[in-house]
Amino acid sequence: MLFYLTRRLLISFPVLLGITVISFIIMKLAPGNPVDMLIDPNTPPELLDAKREMLGLNSSLPVQYWHWLKGLLHGQLGYSFSSYAPVAGMIGQRIGPTLLLALTALLTGLLTAIPLGIASAVRHNKAFDHTMTGLAFIGLSIPPFFLGLSLIYVFALKLHWLPTGGMSTLGRGGGFSDTLHHLILPATVLAIGIVGKKIRYIRASMLDVLSQEYLRTARAKGVKESMVVYKHALRNALLPILTVFGTEIPVLLGGSILVEQIFQWPGIGQLTMQSILSRDYPTLMALNLVAAIVVMTSNLITDILYSFADPRIQYR
Amino acid sequence: MKSSLRFITFTLLAVLLVLLSACTSAQNSSTDSTKAADTTNTDKTTAASVKEKVVTIGIVNSPPTLNQINDQGDSATRTVLPLINDSLLDINTSFEFLPKLADSVETTDNQNYVVKLNPNAKWNDDQPFTTADVRFTLLTALNPKVESSFRLSFIDGTNDAGKLEEGQTELSGLKIVDKHTFKVKTKTPIDPNIFKETFATKVYFIPEHVLKDVVPDQLATNPYFQKPEVTIGAFKFADFKKDQYTEVVRNDNYYRPVAKLDKIYVKVLPATNLIAQLQTGDIQMNSLPVGLIPITDYDKLKALPNLNVDSSGPSEPAELFFNNKTINDVKVRQAIAYALNRQLIVDQLFKGQAEVIDGSVPSDNLYYNKDIQLFTYDPDKAKALLKEAGWDTNKTLRFLVPAGNKIREQASDILVQNLKDVGINVEVQKFDFSTLIQKVDKGEYDLTIFNRDYYIEPSNYFSLFKGDNANNFIFYHNPKADEFISQGATESDPAKRHDIYNKLQQILHDDLPTLSIYSEKRLQAVSNVVVGGKPLNLGAFNNVNEWDLKTN
Repeated sequence: MLFYLTRRLLISFPVLLGITVISFIIMKLAPGNPVDMLIDPNTPPELLDAKREMLGLNSSLPVQYWHWLKGLLHGQLGYSFSSYAPVAGMIGQRIGPTLLLALTALLTGLLTAIPLGIASAVRHNKAFDHTMTGLAFIGLSIPPFFLGLSLIYVFALKLHWLPTGGMSTLGRGGGFSDTLHHLILPATVLAIGIVGKKIRYIRASMLDVLSQEYLRTARAKGVKESMVVYKHALRNALLPILTVFGTEIPVLLGGSILVEQIFQWPGIGQLTMQSILSRDYPTLMALNLVAAIVVMTSNLITDILYSFADPRIQYR
Repeated sequence: MKSSLRFITFTLLAVLLVLLSACTSAQNSSTDSTKAADTTNTDKTTAASVKEKVVTIGIVNSPPTLNQINDQGDSATRTVLPLINDSLLDINTSFEFLPKLADSVETTDNQNYVVKLNPNAKWNDDQPFTTADVRFTLLTALNPKVESSFRLSFIDGTNDAGKLEEGQTELSGLKIVDKHTFKVKTKTPIDPNIFKETFATKVYFIPEHVLKDVVPDQLATNPYFQKPEVTIGAFKFADFKKDQYTEVVRNDNYYRPVAKLDKIYVKVLPATNLIAQLQTGDIQMNSLPVGLIPITDYDKLKALPNLNVDSSGPSEPAELFFNNKTINDVKVRQAIAYALNRQLIVDQLFKGQAEVIDGSVPSDNLYYNKDIQLFTYDPDKAKALLKEAGWDTNKTLRFLVPAGNKIREQASDILVQNLKDVGINVEVQKFDFSTLIQKVDKGEYDLTIFNRDYYIEPSNYFSLFKGDNANNFIFYHNPKADEFISQGATESDPAKRHDIYNKLQQILHDDLPTLSIYSEKRLQAVSNVVVGGKPLNLGAFNNVNEWDLKTN
């Protein structure tokens, strides 16, 4: 096991390096650059050139990449092209809100989806099951931006129960209850997407297990139905769900870009959007790196959890 | 044994996963709780004394930076900077210059300008503001290693890029007379309005006593610019959360009458929320040009009882730029002008809150040529002109539209329809601004539309049309126009300047390198509890220290 872990970690370094190379190339392939944004015809071309020189945009691509990598190896992510703030600090500020949002959504989503999925499977082909599958399908297919705007319209504009966006009320400093207040709508939008997807997984997985021979044996033994479902069936049904849980984390990070935009949630998603629009290369590179690390870590953890959950899988 | 080991590792990993996530949220909740404690404290103090007077202004884009010598050309940054930085002069809606840091800016020959500073002027840390700070600011900002948004190439001693040469440590055009008086010499005589607009109202200062030891090429990343606490203005920096808000508090050390408000927030929110938050009182006013209320909400806005609603003067127009290289026949450009139903856009899209002009200069500009006969909507004439020009109806024009400004996108849709009606095929390509500009710079377009900046100084609008301007992305060249552009930029006699610019605008109208589509009269909404302030195109904060809230 330890050997497997070490190997996975060692492999991850060249993979990360490869990811940074690819994202660097794709980023540079995108048309436009931070200097061209200054369209003011009164800007002398010498100044634009000086700025290009200062930002290191005049060197060849491999040289630019090497500069970035060298900085990274010295623990430096560089400074943003637009605000000249240290990139590490900018990301540090944003990652908290994003994780808070993503994990609240994940937790709420799973806590809703698991019982509903089980209930749906147990009442297979009954009215409840059909309703749940229908609702899950709606939750899955409704676009988050539409759902987000609808919720804002109903709960913020019409009912005035919840704020339209942001993470805290200005001047009230954002205490726990204030943050919670702001968290409800964006977390709900993300969670509904998760519930929609997961109910179907859990239902399918549960149905699969419920039709297994050993459950019939259990019932024949006279084990109570609730015991059959919750002890024997659920345990086995949860195995594949574990994998899905792990892969959901990167999806959540990506999905929250849109939701953060709609709700003005000050997280990574907003920063990413703005960095793309202003072609803020150092910030983009750092964000790519963080995203890559998150994906690889959650994949690794899922793989390991999987081996524990299903003894048939062995890592060497 | 083996299974228990497995169980332990499993649990550990699961805990790790939870911890990973929890560590940030734990951090959050701990700061949350301290913040919560803070809030209760301040709540108590404010409850004990008087209620804080706070005004919140809504904008839709976050300022990228609060660097007062390098605003990156960003309108949101330009909105926030004047709250905490004073310039030498300020400006009001009637384009009158008002004394701020300078008591007077005078010239007798339009080339030598004498600036007398307010002798009481001081930084918010009580240090006096003197000509030494002026000198330090200029030498720093004009240093070739420092990136700055100052455009001061008219000052004697700067090169064409408006910078000092490498190694040069003095600016020959700047003479310090005494602690409160300095002189600026320009390369040639210029209209005093150019000096007043570009130098006296757009240059903000950095404190020598804070930044004197910083190496020029490391200035931009200096922590001072992330938290510019020492500035000179009616308010001072308190907090800046990018994409969320900027918080400024009253400067009690202000050299002019101290502000009546305690605090101003400039809050970032989506344009669609402006109305809702004005309604709920979360914001007290919108902001121009970065907090534009969609004109579609006009009727809703008018119906709100707690707001005073007004419209601004005409703003910088949305211009249709022709690629004069690919559409090189002036008859085709004129045909396009006749084909467009711009009045429909103004009446329907803008509900009348805009006006139609042809040139780049807004109609309230001092040098706007009122005698120019505007193009009317005349599709038959357009067809006739196209026929005369031998227009190939199979040809398709690439029309680049920047994504983001919804109403401009809708206007573009109408333009496309208008052009189709007279037999011009148009293919619309929508891009984000950065991509669009790169394509435009390379000439990979036939038509494009966007707004430039708002200037008082007319030469800033015309420099685009100069044949030798490297940023002339419309590829327009007319020696006669070039001559007038050069003359106009340096002519200091207003009467002669009027004459030059009238002729220039006539030439540009005949050649039609660009055509303005609409000049919007922007909605200004302000809560009726605010006294003395409202959103303006220019100089919105010239009297911000007098703003107040009605106490009921």
